Order: sequence, then structure tokens, then C-alpha cells
Amino acid sequence: MLWILIAAMTAAAALSILLPLSRRHGAGEGVPKVAADEAVYREQLDEVERDLDRCLIDPPAAEAARTEIARRLLAANERRKSGSGKPGSPIGVRVGKVIAIVALPVFTLGLYMVLGSPGMPDQPLAARLAEPPDGQSVEELVARVERHLAQNPQDGQGWAVIAPVLMRMGDPQGAARAYANAVRLLGPTPERVTDMGEAMTMANDGIISASARAAFEQAVELDPAAVKPRFFLALALGQEGRTEDAIAAWQSLLDGANPDALWVPAALDELAKLGGDMPEFADQLSGPTQEQVEAASNMAPEDQASMIAGMVQGLADRLSSEGGSPDEWIRLMRAYSVLGDSSKGRQAYESAVLAYGDQPADLAKINAAARELGLGES
Amino acid sequence: MIVEIGHYALVLTFALTLIQSVVPVYGAIKEDERLMAIASPVSMAMFLLVLLSFIALTYAYLASDFSVQNVWENSHSAKPLIYKITGVWGNHEGSLLLWVLILVFFGALVGFFGANLPAPLRAATLGVQGWVTAGFVLFMLATSNPFNRIPNAPMEGNDLNPLLQDIGLAIHPPLLYIGYVGFSITFSFAVAALILGRIDAAWARWVRPWTLLAWCFLTLGISMGSYWAYYELGWGGWWFWDPVENASFMPWLAGTAMLHSAIVMEKRDALKVWTVLLAIFTFSLSLLGTFLVRSGVLTSVHAFAVDPARGVFILVLLCLFIGGSLSLYAWRAPLLKQGGLFAPMSREGALVFNNLFLTAATVAVLVGTLYPLALDAVTGEKISVGPPFFNLTFGPLMIPLLMAVPYGPILAWKRGDLLAATQRLYAAFGLAILFTLVTFWMWGMDRVLAPLGVGLAVWVMAGSIAEIVTRVKVAEIGFGRGFARLKGLPGSAWGTATAHFGIGVTVLGIVTSTAFQDEKVLTMAPGDTVDVSGYALTFDGLAPSRGANYVEDVGHFTVRKGGVVIAELEPSKRLYTARQFPTTEAGIHTLVLSQIYVSLGEPRDNGSIDVRAYYKPLITLIWIGTLFMALGAVFSMADRRLRVGAPKPAARRDRTDGAAPAPAE
Repeated sequence: MLWILIAAMTAAAALSILLPLSRRHGAGEGVPKVAADEAVYREQLDEVERDLDRCLIDPPAAEAARTEIARRLLAANERRKSGSGKPGSPIGVRVGKVIAIVALPVFTLGLYMVLGSPGMPDQPLAARLAEPPDGQSVEELVARVERHLAQNPQDGQGWAVIAPVLMRMGDPQGAARAYANAVRLLGPTPERVTDMGEAMTMANDGIISASARAAFEQAVELDPAAVKPRFFLALALGQEGRTEDAIAAWQSLLDGANPDALWVPAALDELAKLGGDMPEFADQLSGPTQEQVEAASNMAPEDQASMIAGMVQGLADRLSSEGGSPDEWIRLMRAYSVLGDSSKGRQAYESAVLAYGDQPADLAKINAAARELGLGES
Repeated sequence: MIVEIGHYALVLTFALTLIQSVVPVYGAIKEDERLMAIASPVSMAMFLLVLLSFIALTYAYLASDFSVQNVWENSHSAKPLIYKITGVWGNHEGSLLLWVLILVFFGALVGFFGANLPAPLRAATLGVQGWVTAGFVLFMLATSNPFNRIPNAPMEGNDLNPLLQDIGLAIHPPLLYIGYVGFSITFSFAVAALILGRIDAAWARWVRPWTLLAWCFLTLGISMGSYWAYYELGWGGWWFWDPVENASFMPWLAGTAMLHSAIVMEKRDALKVWTVLLAIFTFSLSLLGTFLVRSGVLTSVHAFAVDPARGVFILVLLCLFIGGSLSLYAWRAPLLKQGGLFAPMSREGALVFNNLFLTAATVAVLVGTLYPLALDAVTGEKISVGPPFFNLTFGPLMIPLLMAVPYGPILAWKRGDLLAATQRLYAAFGLAILFTLVTFWMWGMDRVLAPLGVGLAVWVMAGSIAEIVTRVKVAEIGFGRGFARLKGLPGSAWGTATAHFGIGVTVLGIVTSTAFQDEKVLTMAPGDTVDVSGYALTFDGLAPSRGANYVEDVGHFTVRKGGVVIAELEPSKRLYTARQFPTTEAGIHTLVLSQIYVSLGEPRDNGSIDVRAYYKPLITLIWIGTLFMALGAVFSMADRRLRVGAPKPAARRDRTDGAAPAPAE
């Protein structure tokens, strides 16, 4: 279709040249019987008469004007008689025809092939959004949901669905907005408010703003036992430089915590950085030691990466040869997922399932972690 | 596919411009009828192709096709429909396409209506128009192609510059462009005449409708831009001598001069060389304006493109066109025969006077615009040439010019009688003195210049009416016959009078609104009232609000006169969220011809806010005057004496039938 239209346009353009060229001499329109400038001067003479009729000029002035215009008229008349249009050389016309038939299409097509994208269809947004979802990328799906939400901003469930997706797509700002809408429409739950605060924090480059803090505080109010908001609140205290309070918060958080919980190593790091007393179970964990962490934070980024990769590899080797606790498996899965290696993460998950397939409690824990990390088939 | 069709059409146009640039011009020189004959059909084909391109791009905007880079960069799916359309030319690439569209549109008009032109002149003119078009289409294809595609189309666009999301700016560029670009056709006529080595009174008549058309649109475009700056920038001013404004004002001044010198050329076969030069200058100034605005040399709202490659390209185009045409002028102009002679005190003399002052004013504006740029380029020193410079240079030039305006149309051709002309202007002079005295009496002696300014404005307005009245000699022949004669006056006489009247109206608006405006700059807390020229302006409070793509703080004000509420004003400060871009929206209430203008400054902590409040007496006259000027151009264009030799039904002496063109006999 495109090519047919292109051919038609080119042909029309060529015709606009060919038709006038092939007309016989003298038959062309636009050749007035009287030369154009003579017409102007005759009209000027008429106008002098009219002005005289209406007494706009006096007779002597009219006479003078008439003389002057008549002189121009004569000159124009002379010119017309001396030189009239010639048929032109046949060579010129032939060259013109060749240009129209050959040069014009070749030049245009050539240039268009360089500049244009003939293979690319139009992509109107409405049509792209209406395509069946299976063929669409995540971005397209998200755009579709966002469009739906722009039209139905009261759809709280929609906001709740899109928020974590935006978060994972690296749009914490959008996620924070979506969570806020979900909270507004569906009411605050500890998880939702916490996630909102987390998104706000991510959007703010990891700094916990006053509004994010308020969200975490609300979450703690709703569920005093919730760990995640308390974790962030402790972090906030640290960021504010309230070291004593922060240490106390971390310690109360770690006090009675399951040593195998996923957040514990990070909490211990924070506590260590702040210089607080470590809880007793700290030594039992085979996570990186304080020295190791400090060494890592002083290293160049590449060295840091290789050190982390080495530690992860060590853990993986140990688990595959000696086996380990469910928490250790989960830590490995998490490590891979943080490093962005989801296939290895999935392998670790499958090994963990093999190892603990007969123990429902542990399996459930592993499955939950896999779900959270986006590794398993939920 | 539609997008690609548009792209192909543009490429095809380029190929046609190359042919158009060479074949008809060669034909015109060799007087080969068949080669000349291709000019008109090709000019129309080019117009249709560029129109197709433009429609294709508009479609891409309407459909939010973000696979087109230009759409992605400048549009947003949530944008209101009107701004999706105006967004087409609200950016560098799209506005160039509009530029080219108008360029080929004027070419097609000449091709279509140019049957009365001599074939060589028409062919050469269209050929030269083809050169200009070729240059600009090449510029687009090489550096600013609006049809570039993105392989993986994003799902959302970047939105349009919020300042451009305004109805005023939606209409202003096309008007301005028709003006700017319209002067291209007079340029082409001038260059064609130079190529053919023949120029005479008939040439001036042929060119005149095109000049009038371009001038009319440029007047409207500038006026609209000025009103936009007035309500959108929030400073209460309506003209800032900003380089971008100057860029459009210079072609206007030069175009106005050309309009007047072309009259002399048409009537008396004189000033030919000068008129041709003005035609070249006017379009050169349009090109210069485009260069200044587009190259990023000037930072402004309009500087869509800050890309050195583009700047250099336009500069090369500029040098090629201006340098080329001036060289041609230097080479051919001595061949042109000088025409009729005239005494200094005559209609011709008055028009030369007009030309001298308008040209001097153009140069003043040009210097004021370019000097800071040149200084910056050479020494790196940044200065800004502001209103004081222009008030000292441009202002004094305008005063003698305006004083002379009523004389122009009244003086006789060839040899005029100043005394007789003055007698016909007694009434106008009397009125001017009367108004000056009344203004003195009302405002006292503390503003000496203002009453004189009012007098000058009245002089120009009354003078233009006097021209019509004395021309039909109402006093001598009675009202009945006078009225009949009034109807018989040629359109150009009405055009002159209307346009000159408009100048007076604009001057009156400028003088009164600057001299007698009441300006209050203060901090207002909710409940505060301030008196502005007898109007009590109460600040009721500040309230946040939100629009489709912005949030704003709206100030609520009530205007009372003698305790009676006459208006509520809602000036606001907006923040366009997508680009984090703040704008101000002034609150304006129009009282007949005057306006109360309120704009917001920074809010304070305690709920109070900085406010600029103005009472601007008669300010709307500034823009109403420009409407009169444009209307004058329309009257002149409608003058059927311009349509000489067009194919016709025989209806010669019938003046009332304006549609019937005069026969060519």
C-alpha cells in the first residue's frame, strides 16, 4: 500500500512537469492576448478618467498623468512587438522530460531510502494500547493500566496492583504515588503504608523524608509488632544523627528477632556502623563480619563486586556440598536476586525445595521468600 | 504508513524544488515558453505535497504516535486536543514545516492567480521561490527532520513547553509566519526582476497585493504576540524590545516602508531601485529573525533548537540568500532605468520622507538587537540593550514621521502645495490642539510629554478622517452627494485612511497607558484593599487549584467601585508539573477600553502575597489600532484596480460590483 501511494505521488509530481512540457507551442494557458504590462497601463489610464469624473484630480494633472502613462504604454507595446515568446529548443524540452521521468523518481526514492523508515508502520497510542495483552511488553501493560487509572482514578485496587510493579520497574516515584492513592482509597494497612514509605524512600535516594517517616510511624501504630516499618524508623534515626536513639531502636528490633530473618544481617550492619553492642546471636551468623563489611566499603566498586560474588559463591558451594538451614538457602536466593542473576536464584530455589520438600513449614517459608523475590512460580 | 507518506512527500518536494529552481529560470532567460510553463503546475504540486506532509505530522500528533521522535519529544497523550494540534508547530521541526508550507503556499498562489503576469516574470519568480524552498527543505531533511522515527516507541511523550500551552501562542506563530514568509514572494519578485533586468510601474502593481497580504498578517501576528506577552509574562508591559520581538518588528518596519515606496513606483515609475532593495531587505530581515530565533543565539521561549549544526546551517542559508541577492542587485540595478521626476514637496516626497524615517527606525532596532550579540561574540562581554536605548533612538524617529502621516495622502503627486494641504487639515489640527489642552487641564503640568502625545495621536486619527472627508468635498457639495462619492472612493484610499487611523489609535493607547497608568506594587494580606485609580481592589485570599497538567495558586481579588462589585479577578501562579516549570497568569478585567491588571509575585509565609496591580487607561487601543491597520490592508487588497487583466466577465464601469475584475482590453 505504501509503495502504491509513493508511486502515485511520484507519478503525479512527474506529470506536473511533463504535461506543460508536452503542450504544443501557443496552446498554453496564461498567454494573454495583450501583454500583461500593457493591461496595467490601460487600466491606469481608465483610472485617471474615473478620478477626473469624480473630481479627485483636476484636468491639468489628469493630462500630465495621461501623457506619462501613455509613454509607458507605448514602451510596453514596443517591447511586445520586438520580442515574443519562442517555442524553445527541443533539446531543453527533452532534457526536461528525462528529468521528470528518470531523475525525479530515482533521486527521490534514493534519498527517501536513506532518510525514511518505509518498513515502520504507524503506531498510534490508542491502537498500541488496544493490542491483545499477551503480545505486549511490561511497559505497554503498565501504560495501559496507567491509562485506565487516569480515567478511573477512584479504582483503588488498580493502584494497589500497579504500585509494586512500578517499584520493580525502577519507578519509585510512580510507585509512591500509586501506593498513596491505594492507601487513600482502600484504607491503610500496615503493609501498604510501609510499602508506600519504602517507595518514597527509594524515590528520595534512600533518605527517609518526613512524610515517609510519618508513613512508617502510622504502620507501627497499626501493627506495633511489624518489623519492616520499625526497621526503617531505626534507619531514619541513624540518618538524623540521633545515634543513641538509633542504637536503642536497632537493639529493640533485634531483641527477640529470629536470627535467621532476612533483614537481620542488614540491621546488624547498621548497628555495627553506629557502634552499638551486638546481640549475642550475632556471632552465630555466618554472614560477613564487621571487618569484612568495613573492608568492602573501603574497596573500589569492582573489588567490592568480586568480593561479594566470592562470598556468594562460597555460600553456594557450602550449601550444595554440606546442605544448610532454610534461612541459609533463602539468603543465597536473595543474594542471587540482588545480584540480578535470577536463573541462579531459581536454581537455588529449586535446590532448596528439593532439600526441604518433605518439611511443610520450612517449604512454606522458602516458597514465601521465593515469591517475595520474584523467583518462584508463586 | 501515514507518517512515512508524509516523509516521502517532503523528500519529493525537495526534488521538485531543485527542478523548479533551475528549469523555469533557465526558460525565462531563454524565453522558452514550454520550460517556463512548468513553474505554475510544479508550484501547486509542491504545495499539495507539503500540505500532505503537514497533515501526516498532525495526524501523528493527534494519534500520539510516539514512534515519531518529534511527537515523543513535544507531545503527551494527556494533552488537550487543541494543544496536540498546536504542538505540531510548537517546536523547531514542526514550525519549520509550517514555514515551508507557507513558503510553497505563496508560490502556489502566484502560480494559480498569476495568469496576468508576464510569463518570464512569473516563471523566474516561482524559480526564485523554489531556491528559498529548496534551502529550507534541505535544512529540514539534513538537520531537523520532523519524521525521524524511534525503533522502540516509548509509551509516553515529554509534553510541550508549558509557556506554549496557551491559546494565544497557538494562533500567533501561524499569523506571524504568514507575514514573515509572505515577504518571501516579494523577495522572489524582486530577484526575478533583477534576473530579467526589467522593472517598471507594472511590477509594483503586481507585487502590491502580496506585500499587503504579508504585511496584514505580520501586523496581526506581532499584535497578538504582544498581547500574549502582556497577559502571560505578568510584568504588565506589552512590548519589551526583546530581540525576538525585534526580529519580527524589523521586517514589519521595512515592509511598511516597501509598501509606501511601491506606491510611488506604481504611480510614477520612480523609486524603482529603492523598492527592489527594500523587498530584498524585508525578506532578509525575516530570515535574520528566523536565524536569531532558531539558532539558539538568543535564549527565549522560542529557542526550540539549541544545536550548533542547525545554527550554522541557517547562517549559511542566510548568507547565501542575502549575499546572493545583494550581489545580484549590485550587478543589475544600474541597468534599471530611472523613472518620473518629482518635487520634494509632493506625495512622492512625503513617501520618501516616510521611507527615510522607517528605514532609520529599522536600522536603530537592528543595531539595538545585534550590538549586544556582536559584543558578546567579540569580547565576551554581556550587555543588554533595553527600552532606554530604543526610547532614545526609535521614539524620536517616530515623532516627525507621525506628524507627517496626515500630509502624505493629501499632498498632490509630482508637485504638491503644502499650504493647500495644511488648509485641508485645519480641523484635524484644531482637534489635536483641543485634546492636548484638555489633557493638560485634566492632568496638570507634571507630565508634559503625555498631552503632546495625545495631541499627536489625535492629529493622526483626525488627519486620516480629514483625508477622506476633504477628498469627497462634503462641505461643498452637501452630504447626499458626498456620501455617494464616499462610496465611489477607491479601496486603496479607504485602506490608507483606515490604516493611518489605526496608527493613531495605537499611539493613543501607548501614550495613555504608559503616562497615566496607576501602578501599585505591594504585599497584600487577605482582606487588604488597595485603591487603583478609584477602583478598590480587595485581596480575598489565595487558594490552591489544579488543572490537567499543572498545579496553581490562585489569588482571588474583588474589584469594587463605590462599594459595588464590578469584577472578580483570579490571577495565578502555575507550576507545570511534567517539566517543573512555573508561569504566571495575570488577572485582567477590561472596562470598555481600559484594563485593571493584577499579577502575583512571591507568596509570603503568613498568607499574604506580593501583588502588582495596575490601572491601564485605554490600553486596549494599542491592539485595536493594529486591527484597524490590518483592516486597512484588507481594504487595499480588495481594491479591484489591482486585479488587472484577470479573465473577466464584462462589467467595467460598475463600481458597486466589487467582485468583477477590470477587463484587460
